[in-house]
Amino acid sequence: MKTKFEKIAQYIKKHVKADDYNLRISARNSHETRFAQNAITQHIAGENISIDLVVAFENKTGNCSINQTDEQALAHLIKSAEELAIVNQPDPEYVTSAQAQKYPELKNTSEATLNLIPQQMVDIVKKSIANGESKDALVSGMTEKHIIEVYNSTKNGFEGYYELSEFGHSMTLKKDHIETKVSFSSKDFAVFNLDKTISDLNEQYASLSDPQPFTAEKIPVIIRPAALMEFYWFMVWMMNRRQSDEGLTPFTDQIGKKFMGEKFSLLSTFSIPDMIAVPYSWDNVVSEETYWIKNGVVETMPTPRYWAILKNLKPASPFNVYIPGGKTSEEEMMKMVPRGLIVNRFWYIRPVDMKVGELTGMTRDGVLYFEDGKVKHAVNNLRFNEIPHDTTKRILALGESILCDSSVKAPTLLVDGFNFVDSTSF
Amino acid sequence: MKYLDIAMNAAQSLGADYADIRIQKSTTETIYLHNLSLKNTSTDTMEGYGIRVFKDGAWGFAHSNIFDPDQVQATAKRAMDIALLSAKVKKGAGLILAPERSYIAHYKTPVKCDPFHIPLKEKVDVMLEVNRMMMNYEGIRQAVFYLLIHKDEKLFASTLGTRLDITTQFINPMISATAVLEGDSQSRTFDEGGRATGWEWIRELDLTEKAKQIAEEAIIKVKAETLGEEKRRSLILDPGHLGLTMHESVGHATELDRVLGWEADYAGISFATPEKLGNYKYGSDIVNFVGDNTLCEGLATAGFDDDGVPNQKWYIIKDGVLNEYGSTRDTAMQIGLTHSRGCSRATSYYNQPINRIPNLYLLPGKQELTPGQLIADTEDGVYIQGRGSFSIDQHRVNFQFGGDFFWEIKNGKLHRPLKKVLYKSCNPEFWNSCDAICDERFWRPFGVVNCGKGQPNQTGRMTHGAAPTRFRNIRVGGSQ
Repeated sequence: MKTKFEKIAQYIKKHVKADDYNLRISARNSHETRFAQNAITQHIAGENISIDLVVAFENKTGNCSINQTDEQALAHLIKSAEELAIVNQPDPEYVTSAQAQKYPELKNTSEATLNLIPQQMVDIVKKSIANGESKDALVSGMTEKHIIEVYNSTKNGFEGYYELSEFGHSMTLKKDHIETKVSFSSKDFAVFNLDKTISDLNEQYASLSDPQPFTAEKIPVIIRPAALMEFYWFMVWMMNRRQSDEGLTPFTDQIGKKFMGEKFSLLSTFSIPDMIAVPYSWDNVVSEETYWIKNGVVETMPTPRYWAILKNLKPASPFNVYIPGGKTSEEEMMKMVPRGLIVNRFWYIRPVDMKVGELTGMTRDGVLYFEDGKVKHAVNNLRFNEIPHDTTKRILALGESILCDSSVKAPTLLVDGFNFVDSTSF
Repeated sequence: MKYLDIAMNAAQSLGADYADIRIQKSTTETIYLHNLSLKNTSTDTMEGYGIRVFKDGAWGFAHSNIFDPDQVQATAKRAMDIALLSAKVKKGAGLILAPERSYIAHYKTPVKCDPFHIPLKEKVDVMLEVNRMMMNYEGIRQAVFYLLIHKDEKLFASTLGTRLDITTQFINPMISATAVLEGDSQSRTFDEGGRATGWEWIRELDLTEKAKQIAEEAIIKVKAETLGEEKRRSLILDPGHLGLTMHESVGHATELDRVLGWEADYAGISFATPEKLGNYKYGSDIVNFVGDNTLCEGLATAGFDDDGVPNQKWYIIKDGVLNEYGSTRDTAMQIGLTHSRGCSRATSYYNQPINRIPNLYLLPGKQELTPGQLIADTEDGVYIQGRGSFSIDQHRVNFQFGGDFFWEIKNGKLHRPLKKVLYKSCNPEFWNSCDAICDERFWRPFGVVNCGKGQPNQTGRMTHGAAPTRFRNIRVGGSQ
């Protein structure tokens, strides 16, 4: 596809009359096999392309996107974007397009994912369902493959291209009151081990028998990686340099300060081969190895180009999320506190108070109660109201970081005094 | 269009038990004004077609953006190949589609003044005036105006012989002011959630006046006190708030695909299972919810759904009792219904349609009752306007909602403004605690244009509605 993208870029370069432009082309080839209640319910395949053009006459901008690639469509794209820009009002925060820059060459595809065929995906689904049927349980989930290509070009000379592959398989097993889920997502299908994923699911399933009612309270909690990823994602989302400088987030005036717990670091990195790391962002900020939080200190925050120029800062964008872990096992964590809960996943997390950074959400897919170093029984799902950056100060121990999404690697954490506030009926 | 026939002929010749094609062009105009900076002025056009083949009780869906006879035939073949693969993993005989007849029809959202034809300058001028108005207030640190205009043009054909030509569109203006004071920041938002209408709505709204109101209320809110400890109180919920509460706690809970467990791996399932139909007390006797895809200006109103089933109106909860679900051709027969309620919708041409919430609203009270009378009749409570934080469990039982603007009610009067109010409740406690609904003069619609559901995720839209409504004995308090 790269050649096709370059041809589109040449046409744009030749025909754009505007003072400046920024072209972004992304193409996606996907196959998605969705199953529920032990049968395939949806099954989707196809290719998409999106050609997005931003043009500017001085500081008046216009943006159009299309998904057709013939010259007539491209001519319409340019005309529409330029007409918008001509009649638009000036943008006082306009910044010119990125200049030519070197970006890291990164391998984000795998042959195994590229070569995966629909029959193999259906076989994965069949085996997953067979496991559920052997327990008289119902299995639902999705097996998916995506090949994505991205090409960027600007009037000022930035040119970039990268491709990535993704394979994912998730499954939820439900029988009577027990409901639990495992998921896998990676750029490389070759590292997927269905037997291990099924074994993990079965282990979770077995652990959830005999649930007992539990009333919400502040209690130590072992947060497993899939749950941690969802919980801290919102914190990363709030870490915007401009919004923080303007007083809208909890991170206002916290750069360089020990705002979080000593045991907590968060970075974007090229150093972990199994994580996707795109070489530059949607607005052409080149990816660099970046500690956002280092041993509790806020080192920097994602910074858009306009704010970086205005405040003489370096633009920065997170391209993956790595939370370094430790060596403490769950068994060891359970012995570190008198009693607590183990959470598999969170669900429906939403901000409650943006300035404070408070979130609410539910547990999902299995909660276990432990006491005296041992799991006693499963409990009902619970609601929390918590402040993620505060919880980093209450980290008692960290487990090994594992891949929990194709671009996220996170550990299991033991956090003291997690604020559960309500419970549900299951 | 010739591609409709090419696709249907190809699917039939390949042996499809049923097939349909949806050619869809989606056009979105977005203008995003942050303070006085136009961060985005864009027009996005996506066009292509999705072909759905049903074979041996299973679906295959393939899509393409290439309009060419050979490509259409190849896409039909791909959908058939996928359906055959799906049919190897089915339960029993597989899915059964609810019966439906063929239709030849067209539908177009009634629009007096097409917003796509309004000059950009006129739109941006309105937006700049609004943001300037908000920025003029000392203490307002951020003003946002987000204008979304969307149109879907669809041609639909099925092997039943149906041929549909459908154009739907909506407009959604959202303005927000954020005040920063003494270490706190609070926002106030005007967002009716979008309507299937034209620019005439923007002219009726008088957004400059709305801007004054929300800027002033953002300042009031940032200076307001918090409610303090959670305790059981009365709640009066404004339609602009209640729309989202009903969306989460009734709308999603009564989607038949969730009830069947089809969303178990992602969006979740429902507590409102089929054995409860006709006997489960979902709400108090005055609670009546109607599914109505014929609603004027409704975001789900389209003449027909993406199964080619006509739009309908029916009771989902009648006199407090669970009555029926929102269903599609492939979900209805699973619980023995005789026909689909026409809730199958896809977002873009490349999405396979899924079971969606219809336009769903709470009927107004039958007795004359004004919001003022409702407040006067409330001893100790909180009045909530607008939507804020919202979260619900994956069975649609336990939920916690915030809001956008809050008044404490004491002895029948609005006592003081509040901030950071949350309420917690669950099904069926919440709807059974409903004891008063204002009359039809105060009923207002509320749109949702960003309803996320499905794998791959799709963004659906529908309209809700209510008059101000009171709930007794709900846990209400402040956040941390």
